[in-house]
Amino acid sequence: MMTSFLTLDWLGADLLTTLLLLPSLGALVLAFLPKEAKGAILAVAVGFAGLTFAVSVLLGLRFDPATPGLTAFRVSKPWVPRFGIRYELGVDGLAVALILLTTLLTLCVLLVSCGQHLTRLKGYMAAFLILETGMLGSLVALDAILFYVFWEVMLVPMYFIIGIWGGKRRIYAAMKFFLFTMAGSLLMFVAILFVANVHLHRTGLQSFSLVDWTRAVASGAWRLPSGTEALLFWAFALAFLVKVPLWPLHTWLPDAHVEAPTGGSVILAGVLLKLGTYGLLRFAIPLFPGSAVRYTPVIAALALIGVVYGAWVAFAQKDMKKLVAYSSVSHLALVVLGIFAGTAMAVSGAIVQMVGHGLTTGLLFLLVGVLYERRHTREMADYGGIAARVPVTTTLFLISALGSAGLPGLNGFVGEFLILGGVFKVNVLWCAIGATGMVLGAVYLLTLVQKVFWGPDLVPENRTLTDMNGWELAGSLPLIALVVVLGVYPAPLLRLIGPSVDVVVQILRVKGMP
Amino acid sequence: MTGFLHVTARDLAAVAPEIVLSLAGILLILLDAFARPTRTSFPYLSLAALALANVVGAVAPGTWFAGAVETSALTRFVEMIALGGAALAILGGGAALSRDGKNLGEFYALLLWSATGAMLMAKGTDLLVIFIGLELMSIPLYVLAAWYREIPASTEAGMKYFLMGAFSSAILLYGVATLYGRTGTTSLTRLLGLASGPSPFAFDPLVTVGTVAILAALSFKLALVPFHSWAPDVYQGMTTPAVTFLSTVPKAAAAVVLVRLLHAIAPAGPGEPWRPLLSILAVVSILFGNIVALSQRDLKRMLAYSGIAQMGYLAIALATFSRDALEGALVFLAGYLVTNAAAFLTVAALSSGETEPKTLADLAGLGRRNGAAAALLTLSMISLTGLPPTVGFIGKLLVFRSAIDAGLVFLALVGVFGSLVSVGYYLRVVYVLWMKEPTREVPLHEDDVMAGAAWLLLAAGILVFGLFPRGLIDVARAAAQAVGSR
Repeated sequence: MMTSFLTLDWLGADLLTTLLLLPSLGALVLAFLPKEAKGAILAVAVGFAGLTFAVSVLLGLRFDPATPGLTAFRVSKPWVPRFGIRYELGVDGLAVALILLTTLLTLCVLLVSCGQHLTRLKGYMAAFLILETGMLGSLVALDAILFYVFWEVMLVPMYFIIGIWGGKRRIYAAMKFFLFTMAGSLLMFVAILFVANVHLHRTGLQSFSLVDWTRAVASGAWRLPSGTEALLFWAFALAFLVKVPLWPLHTWLPDAHVEAPTGGSVILAGVLLKLGTYGLLRFAIPLFPGSAVRYTPVIAALALIGVVYGAWVAFAQKDMKKLVAYSSVSHLALVVLGIFAGTAMAVSGAIVQMVGHGLTTGLLFLLVGVLYERRHTREMADYGGIAARVPVTTTLFLISALGSAGLPGLNGFVGEFLILGGVFKVNVLWCAIGATGMVLGAVYLLTLVQKVFWGPDLVPENRTLTDMNGWELAGSLPLIALVVVLGVYPAPLLRLIGPSVDVVVQILRVKGMP
Repeated sequence: MTGFLHVTARDLAAVAPEIVLSLAGILLILLDAFARPTRTSFPYLSLAALALANVVGAVAPGTWFAGAVETSALTRFVEMIALGGAALAILGGGAALSRDGKNLGEFYALLLWSATGAMLMAKGTDLLVIFIGLELMSIPLYVLAAWYREIPASTEAGMKYFLMGAFSSAILLYGVATLYGRTGTTSLTRLLGLASGPSPFAFDPLVTVGTVAILAALSFKLALVPFHSWAPDVYQGMTTPAVTFLSTVPKAAAAVVLVRLLHAIAPAGPGEPWRPLLSILAVVSILFGNIVALSQRDLKRMLAYSGIAQMGYLAIALATFSRDALEGALVFLAGYLVTNAAAFLTVAALSSGETEPKTLADLAGLGRRNGAAAALLTLSMISLTGLPPTVGFIGKLLVFRSAIDAGLVFLALVGVFGSLVSVGYYLRVVYVLWMKEPTREVPLHEDDVMAGAAWLLLAAGILVFGLFPRGLIDVARAAAQAVGSR
């Protein structure tokens, strides 16, 4: 009874549609609440985010990793039948893992926001809920147009989140974020239409379905000239690599991260960047495996530059948020390297690291936000020696930083180790350069902890610093718990994503990847 | 030509909506002159007339008046756009005009007559009928452009629009005369017969010159570059509710006439020189409109340049000219009507007295003062950008898709590049609405029930057609099929 209530079976909606509708429904309810009713706004927002999380957990429990391909919980209804555009949803292990990450992070962000001072609370909460629909939709959509719709739906709420609740240069940052992302995705849009046209001419079927498309690719039905395929591959890949972001497309990220409010940074780093790598795994590589293999050296080179560059620049930062932002550039570059290395070990590592980075970097941004909320500064120099004053924050920050730096026993280690191990089999040089990223990571993250929490307690303004409140704890503890659990016992995650990894590896191997 | 002497009742039934609106316009003017106290009921009377016209407009497809007038799914589509555009202008305009004491019967009469002209233009299968429709549509708009005759900007708008309009009408007539001189007919049906006959005139210089002249005149109505220069001044000076109509309905009518003409001249599809010509118009309009719009600070001028760019996207569909492209063009036009009306009606609600410049700065902080107005304007900007889940996205999806299917990938790329540039100014409106502190208080008029109803309709339209476009696409498809069915 309870499950059928949760999944809205009584409305005739399926599990995935329920997942997509719930956050938007929450935003709609919020629209009708009066501005002054803060308690009600918080209750509705957290309630709907919680409900969405519950549904996603249910999805995770019901999901059988052995289901082949993307057929689990498949929904397929005509949307614009005239052009073969369908409302087609389905998940595999990779999508399920990222869905859980998305719903959990959104819930945690909203919980933390409850304990902080925010203007225009209603709009803030509604923006996050609409954003959640966009993120989840991108993860479950199997129709390319539907995917594009959800992909673009994410832009507007994030623009508002940065632009209204952000820092001093928020307008510039929001615009830059919007333009960079949209430039990439518009190219992808043209590529999607082009591919559909090719599919129509080669197979006689009008379809935007990823399932149909990958099947046609596997059977070689498209017969794309290699030049065309390369252009299409890059059109897709650019859209995703901007989002990742891979050096040199990363310049929007430090701006967006620094200027975004805490919640925005968490979601940006935790989920939005992962959608870039998800897109590579789901679209760019399976649709154009030949080009993916051909251009692996190019992308690997960019990724290696990104690993070292991101870490190096992070090390030079004085602003905590900027440091964490550049650490994301470095970590995500390593994920891209893992994906294009193409061995089962490296790809699993990349996916584990996607989840792991979402948790640890999300936490780091949350905790920086906790300090910022109290002191309104993110300069490391304005802190120092505050460990005794805020012991809980210190502990959690240390765990997150170590997790991010890849300390064995915490989740960052599992992902980075698998990636580097997998890359080693392909190219020892790549592995060596990639490993410097890990070393540098430890350096800048520990420097951050040292400068902020340890050392002499000299800044008088810090005397009144208070530790995390209940809401902030409620939002952080689940993430900390997962950082530890997945570090010690990653087997369930690996089992969940195993079949998805095999699919990608198989595709690349056919095209001559070692 | 003898057929004109034997007008049957069924002929008249085919133009019943035009008759209803013409008579309603006359009635409103008479009431204004002899029964002033009835003025408050004018909006309702004209809405009733539009509704009646819509009901009697549902006639069977066919040709009437000895083949000079046609009714089909296509003419019905334009009819809906014309009636809808007029209704929206009236819904949003009544209160705005009352505030300035400008709620005169002429306003409604002129709108109804202009809608009549647009409908007749689309129904005409003879170039002379089309010309009469065009003039009937345009002359009321010249008057409406100069509606605030005490304001220099408005008189300038009226004068400019009139002079340029008269010039383009002359060019149109020149084109018609040239075509007649070469082929001996002004009937599109007979031109089509000649073009598909044994000796097609694909490269006949006189036919080409005549068609180019008509194309230029219609491009003027569409405000395509280089025939656009009237648009910013007229948008700025014209009374805002009327711009709602001006910026959408004449463009839809002109686009449909263009489609009919090209189909008659080149039934096998537009080869040389039509496709290159239209492609150039599309590319130049998209680039020019979007880039110049970036530098605009006056909201209405910005929307004028945005309109130039939007018609550039439409021209992509005209250059493609496949069945899918025409379908896309119609969906695009319907979406543009809803989206653009949303923008102009919100601006109308903010205006009190046309003396007030409606610069972007005047919108600052509107999000906090009137969330509904700001939300609608935001939605409209998102739709104009072409982002899902709005009807603007669906229109662009269909247009770009058909262009790519026809091998015109370059046009689609220019289109998406234009969309990217347009983010710069559409999003600036959103920024000003929600993220900028107000510099001065601009009074806002919220007590307007009719405008409220229009807002709700438009917001629903933008989203519903964006999320469930199937019905709209089916209607547009039927209309597009009517082009080739003669």
